[in-house]
Amino acid sequence: MRLTYSCVISVGLAAVGLSSAHAADDLTQPIVADLIQPAFDTLAHETAALADVAATSCHDATASDTALAEAYGRAFDAWITASIWRFGPTETDSRAFSLSFWPDNRGKIGKTVGALLRSEDTGILAADEFAQFSIAGKGFYALDYLMFDTQAQTLGSASYRCALVGAMTTDIAATATAIDADWSTGFAEQLSPPSARYQSQDEVRQELFKTLTTGLQVDEDLRLGRPLGSFDKPRPRRAEAWRSARSLRHLTLSLEALKPLAQSLAVGAPNLQDKLTRAFDKALRRAKALEDPQFAGVSDPASRFRVEALKQEVADIRALVAAELGPRLGVAAGFNALDGD
Amino acid sequence: MISKILRTTAVSAMTLSATAAFAVEKEAVLTNYADIALATYEDSLITAKTLKGAVDALLDAPSAENLQAARAAWLAARVPYQQSEVFRFGNAIVDDWEGKVNAWPLDEGLIDYVDASYGGPSDENGLAALNVVANPSFDLSGKTIDAAKITPTLLEGTLHEADGIEANVATGYHAIEFLLWGQDLKGTDHGAGDRPWTDFASGDACTGGNCDRRGEYLQAATDLLVSDLEWMTAQWADTGAGRTALFEDVTAGISTMLTGMGSLSYGEQAGERMRLGVMLNDPEEEHDCFSDNTHNSHYYDGLGVQNVYLGQYVRVDGSLVSGPSLSELVAETDAALDAEILTKLSTTMMALGRIKLAAEAGYSYDQMLASGDAKGEALIMGGVTGLIDQTRSFERAVTALKLDSIAFEGSDSLDNPTAVFQ
Repeated sequence: MRLTYSCVISVGLAAVGLSSAHAADDLTQPIVADLIQPAFDTLAHETAALADVAATSCHDATASDTALAEAYGRAFDAWITASIWRFGPTETDSRAFSLSFWPDNRGKIGKTVGALLRSEDTGILAADEFAQFSIAGKGFYALDYLMFDTQAQTLGSASYRCALVGAMTTDIAATATAIDADWSTGFAEQLSPPSARYQSQDEVRQELFKTLTTGLQVDEDLRLGRPLGSFDKPRPRRAEAWRSARSLRHLTLSLEALKPLAQSLAVGAPNLQDKLTRAFDKALRRAKALEDPQFAGVSDPASRFRVEALKQEVADIRALVAAELGPRLGVAAGFNALDGD
Repeated sequence: MISKILRTTAVSAMTLSATAAFAVEKEAVLTNYADIALATYEDSLITAKTLKGAVDALLDAPSAENLQAARAAWLAARVPYQQSEVFRFGNAIVDDWEGKVNAWPLDEGLIDYVDASYGGPSDENGLAALNVVANPSFDLSGKTIDAAKITPTLLEGTLHEADGIEANVATGYHAIEFLLWGQDLKGTDHGAGDRPWTDFASGDACTGGNCDRRGEYLQAATDLLVSDLEWMTAQWADTGAGRTALFEDVTAGISTMLTGMGSLSYGEQAGERMRLGVMLNDPEEEHDCFSDNTHNSHYYDGLGVQNVYLGQYVRVDGSLVSGPSLSELVAETDAALDAEILTKLSTTMMALGRIKLAAEAGYSYDQMLASGDAKGEALIMGGVTGLIDQTRSFERAVTALKLDSIAFEGSDSLDNPTAVFQ
């Protein structure tokens, strides 16, 4: 392995495409086996547990509904860790959109969940009906709003709230199970090209590289950039899941999920692996030291710079990945869902 | 202006005949691309001027007929403009400018009266129900704004993206669309907005209040659209900045073409505009929601992508601009990939064409968005799938044409690591 790759480096880009399929498999397969499949196994497990708690021990589906809130936290953690893998099974039937509609810059979640709680509409609660429902009323971010928004907590009877949480968590668990099943029963084979989806190993590498670059872009531009806004106009209410104070936690979970991917993509290049490890660790240390779970500090000039500094750490990882890892893999960054507005 | 285009096209045709026997020159492909951009923006300008004429006629002599004529002129103006959207991503000069002319979605209560169901100011936007037409003076971020006269400067300088909020769209096609059609209050049922012509009438015939100010707003927004399009058209003329930027590095120029095609197809059209609407089942997620023209908006966006690849554009006067193409350039390197891209572009246009034909036959785009409407979802997702699939092949073209290293240079953090502190 190591020899193969050091040869590749010395002769440059053109040779990468010529490296043996076996070597490329060695790059891909551990990522699938050690990172992707465990992430979706955990997601399927934790979301099933959440649906179970919702069915058996829901009291009023507010922040103080302890057992539910804890199961919710574990399932959401599992999603954030798995959410970096946005290709293949997560995109079939737009599953990832059903699990996570964020950012919601039109404020649709509040309107949709609020309307359900006010009307106590029971017609949509059956699983097959709910599966067809708007993504603004589904998934983790709708659940977050229902359980943690101070106004939403006062809406609806406890029994309707629990019934709605039951529908939401059942839908989340079904979606997570479907993604997990696709990964274990076939999609992994697509990653051994030539396949219907990928014509060559380079295309698989590009997919994995794009996962890394997109994940870092989400962290920098959305998780940190949105609440930071501008100095004159900070936007703390645009922080992800600020109602449950999970904003910083999500950034950390995402970086922790992206770090082993970066290291795996740099396999055979120990210097680059070290650099990547140091860059991620630096960002993670700064995240740990921040002690501002909702990024509320963006509004205060005295604490804002610390969030800006964290964003810079993520930008530094992106720069390193673009400058050194991309050329080494010989693939372009490609297009991603953030290319639009 | 038209003769200038013909001249440029003739020059590029000569370039082609001199070199075509050997290889497709990147310069010639870029020249044709810039010629198509020029023709597309010039057509957008021509049709915007026609719209201005129709708006002037409406305000001179308000009537149902004249309102209808202005609406027809707006719909015609969208045909070339939507085909220009493929130039937006990749060409910084377009991307920095386009928010002035095509920003969407908008909180239309900023501009004029809205139905009670619209609600007031929202968490995200304190100005969502400002209603400039009804208010000659108002507070904005602690300052009193004099809006006694509604001018292009007021719209452009003060109101547009007021308070730093993108939904405060005061200018461009969609602001004009709202003034011509009004809100579409029919949800996911058939039918567009139906503002009465008397909203522009004078004296006692005036409905909705402040008809003079509404007319003033419409005039200002239309004038601004014309001047903005004049500016952009000039950027693609012989020495225009949009055109010359392409030739600073011809390989990067080719990459720009593919960036525009891929970013519009995938992130913007398939994601933001089409899939999100289906998954939210929300008629407000229609790109041209007031006029119910969304099927055309999507169709001509898709056509613009195909135009760039084929190196061909049919002008609004029916003439064809064509020349050396990206298709020929790709075919020279990988004929199978070229065939794959051509097929996928056709598949996408077929899917977008199905949405258009269903809508024109009476099953409108907002109906397709209704919750549980499986056939509508299938129509829209057909377009989404086509757009995503063709983007994969554009990525293959980036690799085949060895544009990879260029693509790495687009990152903000790489170009300007200190940007985050500004």
